[in-house]
Amino acid sequence: MIAELSGHTVLVFVGIPVLVAAVLALLVFAGSIASGPRYRPGLSWWAPPVWINGPVATKPDPANLPELPAAPGTPATAGAGVARTTGGASASW
Amino acid sequence: MPVGDAFTPDQLHDIERAVRHAEEASGLHFSVYVGGADSETRPFAVELLNELDDPDHTVLVYVDPAGRRLEIVTGAEAKRQLSDTAAGLAALTMQTSFATGDLTGGLVTGVQQLGTNAHQAPLLHANEPHKQ
Repeated sequence: MIAELSGHTVLVFVGIPVLVAAVLALLVFAGSIASGPRYRPGLSWWAPPVWINGPVATKPDPANLPELPAAPGTPATAGAGVARTTGGASASW
Repeated sequence: MPVGDAFTPDQLHDIERAVRHAEEASGLHFSVYVGGADSETRPFAVELLNELDDPDHTVLVYVDPAGRRLEIVTGAEAKRQLSDTAAGLAALTMQTSFATGDLTGGLVTGVQQLGTNAHQAPLLHANEPHKQ
């Protein structure tokens, strides 16, 4: 009877609070577990580079291309794909 | 989400959508690179711009989270539509978000701002003959 009573008591006064605490902890940390590590300025960066809207395809190696005769009257220009002058802005945090 | 990725699929989707909207609003190409630089950030960002298909009409946003540096690089033609002052204002917006750890929010807001500022005003009466 005593053993039965103490088991029941342990279940009510220890088991249930532990279960409630575990559920609350899971709810609190579920978001960060799902979204993975968060960026924290000043700490090291862990992720590989991401390029959104980057180059469509890798450009062919010019050394492997067959040599074509230049069109007559074509003015000499800088190679396509090279920006002439650039503008913009910089910032740090 | 695989461990170690910079953005969740939802975050990537948000940034891609902002890029698309900016392109539609401005007629320019937008590209966003997030990662470390091999050298100084500005030359590296210009190098990235030159790897793109049409660098003259492109706005590249380069973010180095480890070095805490942001570069906005505009090509020769893009520069005519998006002034350095406007790019600086967008950089300031992004900088504020990045400082609080919000990379996605900063990129989405910043790219949207760049697209809006680079918006081409419609040509009015361009096709009408000149009348005295």
